[in-house]
Amino acid sequence: MNRIKSVEELNRLRDEIRASRDPNKRCITVCGDTGCRAAGSLDLADKLRAEMKQQGVEGEIEMKVCGCHGFCQQAPVVAVEPEGIFYRHVGHKNPERDAKAVIDGTRDNETVERLLYRDPKTKKRIKHYRDIPYYAMQTKRVLDNTGKIDPNKIEEYIAADGYAALAKVLSLDPGDVVDEIKKADLRGRGGGGFPTGIKWGFCREADDQTMRYIICNADEGDPGAFMDRSIIEGDPHSVLEGMIIGAYAISHRVCPAQGYIYIRAEYPLAVQKLRKAIEQAEELGLLGDNILGSDFNFHIKIKQGAGAFVCGEETALIASIEGKRGMPRSRPPFPAVSGLFGKPTNINNVETWATVPRIMKRGADWFTEVGTEKSKGTKIFSLVGKISNSGLIEVPMGMPLRTIVEEIGGGVPDGRTFKAVQTGGPSGGCIPAELLDLPVDYEHLKEAGSMMGSGGMVVMDDYSCMVDVARYFLSFTESESCGKCVPCRMGTQHLLNMLTDICHGHGTPSDIERLRNISDAVAKGSLCGLGQTAPNPVITTLRYFEDEYRAHVEDRDCPAGVCRDLVMYEIEPENCTGCGVCQLNCPTLAIAGEKKEPHIIDSALCIRCGACRDSCKFEAVFTHVHENTPDDQSIVSRT
Amino acid sequence: MNSFSESTMDTISLTIDNQQITTEPGRTVLQAAEEAGISIPTICAHEDLPSYGACRMCVVEIEGMRGYPTSCTTPVSEGMVVQTDTTELRKLRNQVMEFILSGHPDSCLVCDHREDCEKYRPNVTKAGRSTRCGFCSNRDVCMVRNYAITCYERHLNLPTLYCHYNLERDDPFMERDLNLCILCGLCWRICEKIHGSPAISINNRGRWAKVGTAFNSSYVDSGCTFCGACIDICPTGTLTDRYARWYGKGNFGWETVCTLCPEGCKIKSTLSDNKVVSTEMISFDRESRICALGRFAYAQLMNAPKRLKRPYIRDNDELTPVSWPDAIDFVAKKLAEYEPGQCATIVDSANIRENLHLYRRFTEEAMQGRFASVPAGDGFDDIDDESLKADLQAGKIKAVVLGGDYLDPELLEGLDCLIVLDYLPSAATKRADAVLPVAILAELTGTFRDDAGEIKPLKRAVDAAGEARPEWMILRDLAGALNRNGWPYDDINGVTEDITNDPAPQPWPGSPRDSLKDLPPRFRGAYLADTVPALKDVGLPSHPTPIHPRPTTGFKILKHEEVVPNFFLITIEAPKIAQYARPGQFVILMVDETSERVPFTLADWDAEAGTITLIIEEVGRSSGELVFLSEGDFIAHVTGPLGVELPVPEGDTIALGGGCYGIGAIYPIARELKQLGKKVITVLEACSSYTLYMESQFREVSDEVIIMTKDGGKGMKGGVQEAFTHLVDRGTKVDQFVAVGCTFMMRMVTETTRNFGIPLQVALNPIMVDGTGMCGACRITIGDETKFACIDGPFFDGHQVDWDELGSRRGAYAAEEIEAIPQDTHHHEKLVPITTSGGCALDD
Repeated sequence: MNRIKSVEELNRLRDEIRASRDPNKRCITVCGDTGCRAAGSLDLADKLRAEMKQQGVEGEIEMKVCGCHGFCQQAPVVAVEPEGIFYRHVGHKNPERDAKAVIDGTRDNETVERLLYRDPKTKKRIKHYRDIPYYAMQTKRVLDNTGKIDPNKIEEYIAADGYAALAKVLSLDPGDVVDEIKKADLRGRGGGGFPTGIKWGFCREADDQTMRYIICNADEGDPGAFMDRSIIEGDPHSVLEGMIIGAYAISHRVCPAQGYIYIRAEYPLAVQKLRKAIEQAEELGLLGDNILGSDFNFHIKIKQGAGAFVCGEETALIASIEGKRGMPRSRPPFPAVSGLFGKPTNINNVETWATVPRIMKRGADWFTEVGTEKSKGTKIFSLVGKISNSGLIEVPMGMPLRTIVEEIGGGVPDGRTFKAVQTGGPSGGCIPAELLDLPVDYEHLKEAGSMMGSGGMVVMDDYSCMVDVARYFLSFTESESCGKCVPCRMGTQHLLNMLTDICHGHGTPSDIERLRNISDAVAKGSLCGLGQTAPNPVITTLRYFEDEYRAHVEDRDCPAGVCRDLVMYEIEPENCTGCGVCQLNCPTLAIAGEKKEPHIIDSALCIRCGACRDSCKFEAVFTHVHENTPDDQSIVSRT
Repeated sequence: MNSFSESTMDTISLTIDNQQITTEPGRTVLQAAEEAGISIPTICAHEDLPSYGACRMCVVEIEGMRGYPTSCTTPVSEGMVVQTDTTELRKLRNQVMEFILSGHPDSCLVCDHREDCEKYRPNVTKAGRSTRCGFCSNRDVCMVRNYAITCYERHLNLPTLYCHYNLERDDPFMERDLNLCILCGLCWRICEKIHGSPAISINNRGRWAKVGTAFNSSYVDSGCTFCGACIDICPTGTLTDRYARWYGKGNFGWETVCTLCPEGCKIKSTLSDNKVVSTEMISFDRESRICALGRFAYAQLMNAPKRLKRPYIRDNDELTPVSWPDAIDFVAKKLAEYEPGQCATIVDSANIRENLHLYRRFTEEAMQGRFASVPAGDGFDDIDDESLKADLQAGKIKAVVLGGDYLDPELLEGLDCLIVLDYLPSAATKRADAVLPVAILAELTGTFRDDAGEIKPLKRAVDAAGEARPEWMILRDLAGALNRNGWPYDDINGVTEDITNDPAPQPWPGSPRDSLKDLPPRFRGAYLADTVPALKDVGLPSHPTPIHPRPTTGFKILKHEEVVPNFFLITIEAPKIAQYARPGQFVILMVDETSERVPFTLADWDAEAGTITLIIEEVGRSSGELVFLSEGDFIAHVTGPLGVELPVPEGDTIALGGGCYGIGAIYPIARELKQLGKKVITVLEACSSYTLYMESQFREVSDEVIIMTKDGGKGMKGGVQEAFTHLVDRGTKVDQFVAVGCTFMMRMVTETTRNFGIPLQVALNPIMVDGTGMCGACRITIGDETKFACIDGPFFDGHQVDWDELGSRRGAYAAEEIEAIPQDTHHHEKLVPITTSGGCALDD
C-alpha cells in the first residue's frame, strides 16, 4: 500500500477496502490470543486452512486468526461470521475432525451442534454468542474489534473505522482534543483512576518546550490480569491511534513529541503484534513524520521491560526506560513537569489509550452514556479463579459485582459457595459475599477497601482460606518490592512472615493487632503505590474475615481446610457412597475402602492436598483441627 | 491573591511547627527546617546528594497534601504549613525505625546491658561478620545506632530478619558485610555523582535487594576506581576500609596534599593515636575524586611495619644503629673523601619542593656532583640524564646519595660509597654505607608543585616514624657538617623562600583517578605493591613475596563449617588429645610454623575416632587464619589437652551458663555431669536467635535448657546472669554455678550471684596467650594469690577474681592486634607472615 497523504486518501482507502469485500461472505474467526494458542488454536487454524483447500472452498469461506474472543474458559474458540455462530473447545480432542466439521457446516450453512456452547443452567445449546449470557450481559465498546479483526492487518482496522478518529482530530485544535477527553471524564484504566484529560492538560501546559514524551504503560504485571495483553494482541492499532491522538493533543504547536510503549518482555506475542502494527502505520504515513500529510510528526519506540512488577509504577517505568534500575521516586516533580529524561511526560495505560480513539470518533457524550456519575464508560476485567466462566469481559462501570460474578461469570462451580473476590490485583482487596451488590466503580471499590486496579478479578469459594489468600498476595508484593524504601521492603517481609507463621499454626492472638499496625505503617510510610497498597489484601481480609484469622491463631484451625499444618482430612461414612473417585485422585494412596463401602483416609500418609475433597460429589470429605498442633517452642518472635 | 508567580520570587515563606520561616525557592522542606534549627531525623538524605526518599524517617505532615510526604523530597512552596513532630508522625517514625532495625543486627541496641558492656569493652571486637554493634567497626559513629539510642524505645516488637550474606572480602582494600546494609543508597548515589555511571547499584528485589556490581563481578572488573567514596559515605558498618576499620574514626579532617604522583590531589586524613589511618577526598565532588593510592595506599605506606626508624652506619661491615649526630658526622666524612664529579644524587621527584631544592643544592654546592630526579612513579630507566646513567654504569661515579630504591644490584656493587635516604629497607639499604630514615607524606610540612604548576601547601599531620627526619633537615645538617656556609635554615620556611623557578614535574601519563590501569606503580623507586599488597590485585607489579607454604602434615581438619555467623565448628584429627581430654580443658593451636599460639577450649572429642572439636569465633588475625582453612587442610601444631579440668562440683544441681564460644565450651561439662548423675540446667546465651547454636545437642545432655537472647528474639530476654537470677527466684535449689564466655558476661554473672551464697566457677581462657605459664600474659589475682590462668586454671572461683585487673590485661595488645590483620585481598589462599612495627627493619 502507498503512503496516505491526506484524510481524503484515507477515506478513499477505507472505501476501497470495504468495496472489495462481500459482507455476506462467511468468515471463520479463530482466536489466536495467548490463551487459545495454548489450547491449540494455531494448529486448529492450520487444519481449517488445509480442510478448506482440500474442499476447494477458499473462495467461498474466509478464515482469519483474530484476537481474544473473551471466553477463555471455552478455548479454543471459533466464531462464524456474519451470523455470529459460536463454537467452543474446537479441536480440543481431535482438531482434524472438528476442523472438518466446522468447514462442512459453514459450507452447507449448517450448525455443528456438538461444538455449540451449552448453558450450564438450562442445559440447552446456544447457537449465537449474542445469546450466551456471558456475552449478552457485556458492553463491548473498547473490545469491539478484538476477536473480529485480524490484528496483523492494518486494512482490517481501517475498514473497521480505524484511524478515522485520528483523521478527525488532525482538523481540531489540540486544546479542543484535551477538552473532549476532559468532557468524557475518562479516568485512567491503569489503577489510579486519575482523570486523563486533566493529566493531558498538565503535560501540555508544562513550561519546558523542548520535548513531550508520550508513554504507553503496557507493563501489566498483576497475577491473573491480561486485559492489556488482549487489547494489544487483538487490536494493536487502536493503542497506537490513541497515542498519536494523545501526542497531538499534548504536544502539537508546543514542541516535538516522542512515544514509547513500555511492555513486558514476557509478552512476546504482544510485542510482535505491536512491532508489526508500528511498521504498517509508519508505512502508510499514519505514524512518523507528516502524519496524514499534516505538519504533525510522532514516532513510537518499543521498550521491553525485564519483568519487574514495580516498573508499572510510572516513575519506576521512566527510570527503566532511561536505562536505570526500575525504582520509583517521590513526586513532585510529577512526570507531567519532569518525567522521561527530565522532560514533560504523559503516561497512560493500554486500555486508556485504546479508549481514546473511540471517544474521539463517537464523541464524549457517547462515552458518558454508560457508567456512573463519577466513573464513566466501560471497564475491562479479567474474571478468573473459582468461577464457571472465566475470561475477558467488558462491562459498564457501576455494574453490580453480583451481576458480574453470578450472571456473566455463571457463579462458583462445583456446587461451592461464593466467598470473596479480590479486585485490583495484589494491591487490591478482598470483597466479601455480603458486599456482592456493590456497584463496580472507582469510588465503591475504594470504599470497600479495595481498588479498581487494572481490572483483575479473582473469585474465591468457601474452600479458599483468606489468611492463605493474603499470604499469597503478600508473597507477590514482598518479592516484587524494589527494596528502595524501608516500610515496603521490611514491612512486607514481616507481614509475609507473620502470615506464613499463622498458616503454619505458629500464630498468636497478638499477631492480629501487629498485622494491623504493620499494615498501617507500610501503607502510610511507603514511597510508591506498590508499598502503599501492598497491605490491602491483609487489611481487607482482616476487616471482613477476622474470624478466620482468629480460628488460626486461637484454635489452630483453618476452617477452609487449606492450611496443611492445621487440619486433618476425614471421610464422613454416612455421606460416602464408596464411589472410589477420591481414591483415584489421591496422590499418596492414602485412601482405602471397598467399592460401595465408606472409605477411610490414613492420616499418616495424607498430605492434606485436598484432592479428595475437591473430587467428592457427595460432600463426604471434611476437615477438622489437626490432633497435633504445631509446637509452640518453634515460634520465633519478640513479645 | 498573591500577584507574583513563584518563579519570580526571591524568597518563600512557610510555616514549620508554627514557626514562620523564610527560605529560597528550590529548597526542600527538610533543608528549610534545618536552616531554621528544626531537626528532622533522616538517614538517606545527604547534603552532597539529590534527595532520594528511601529511609522514610523524615516524614512530615503538610496541610493540603495527602498522607505523609518525606520532607527531603518535597520542595517548599509559598504559604506551606508543615508539622514535623505530631503524635502520628512519631508513631510512624518509630515504626519505620523498627523496620530498619529489624533488618540490621541490632541486639546491642535493645540489650539491657549495653552501657555496662561498652564501659568494660571500650574497643569493638574485630569480628568477621558484624552481628551486633560490639562487633562493628562503625559503632562509634553509626547513624542508625545514634537514632536508635537517642530517639527510640529499647523494646522492639519485630523479629530480626538477618540476611545471612557471606562477608564479601575478595576485593582489594574493602570489606563488605551486606547484612548491615539498610539500603539508604548513599553508596551508589555518590558513585554515580562522582563517576557518572556508577560501578555499583542495587541488585535484585524484595528481601534480596542488595548493593553490588553488575552481574556480581568483582569490584576490580566493575570499573570501580577505588576512590573509597562509598565507604566514606556509608552510614553503617556495611562498607569498610579493611586497613582502617578497626582503628575507629579518630580525629578527622586534616587536609594535606598527596605527593605520590604529580597530580597532587588534595586529601584529608583521619588520625588515630598519632597515626594516619586513612585518607579520603576533601569533598564528595567529581573534581575532588582521588585514586586508589591516595585513598588506600597512602596510610599503609606511612604505617608500613618495615619503616626505617633509626639512622644506621656501616661499622665493620655491619649496619649498626647510631644517633643522628654520629650518623651525620659519619656521612659527612665519607662524602668529603670524593672529588667533584665522582658524586651523584638520585632522588624521586614525587616529593615536596623543599626536599628537592636542598637535594639539588646539596649536590651542586656541597658535593659538586650530578643531580638526577626520577619522574614520579618511575624507575631508574626513566631518568632522562643518559650521560649520568652511562657514567654510573662505567664506574665513573664513585659515591651516590640515593633517595630511594633506584639502582640494580650490579650498579650497587660497583659503588664505592652509598648513602641512602629512604623510608623502607631495600636492596640499596642493604648495600649502603649509611641509611638515613626519612619522613614522608603526611609527616611533612612544605609545598608541592603539581603538574599544572600550582604550588600547594602541606602541613604535617603526624610525627615522623621513629627518629625519621625530613630530608631537607638531613641535608641541611650534612651541609653544616661539611662546613658549608649559607645554609641558615631554622625551619622549612627558609627553604621555601629560597626556591626560585623550580620546574613543574612531568605529568604522569594517564589518569589514575579514572582508571586502575593508570596508577603509578612506584614510590621512591620501589614497587608500591610490595608494601601495599592489595595493589597487586588492581594490577600493579610487585616483587615476589615469600609465602609460607601451607603445612602438608600435622593435624588434619576433618570438618569445617560456619554454624552461625562468625562461629566455626572445626573437627581436627588429634588422637592423643582426644584420648586424654577432660571437660574444661583447652588446646593451643598454631596454624603454621609462624602463627601465633592461640588457646581454644575443647567443645567435644571422640577418643575412639581420635578427633577433637573446637568452636572458633572469628575475632582477629589468628582466629581468622583458622576460619580460612577448609576440610583436608592441616594445622601445624595442636598442643593439649592443657589446663586443669573442672573439679566435679559438690551437690546435685549444677547450672551451667555459656555465651558465645562458651556455649561450645560447656558442652563437655554438661555431658560429663549428666553422666555422673547430676541434675544439669544449661543456660545458652546469644545476642539473637540467629547466633544460637548447639541447642539440640544440649537438650540431650541437660535436664533443662534455658535460652537467653539479648534481643529477646528467642527464649527470654537477657543473659546468663538473668537466667541464674531467674533460677534462684523461682526457688530452684542450685548447688553450683559455672559460667563460660566473654569476660564481660562472666563478670556480670559474678556480680549478680555474689549474694546468692552459691559458688561460681568461671573459665578465664580469653586472656591467655602462650598456654604454658611462660609468657605471663594471663597472670591474674584470685583473692590474695597470683595465678596463671593457663596452668592453674582455666577455672577459678568467680567471686575471688579481680576483674578490673583482668579487664586491663585484655586491652594490652589492642594496637598490635589491629596491625596484625592481613591486608592482602586473598589472604585466605595463603598465609602471610605477621609483620608488625615491633620488629627490626633491616634484617629482612
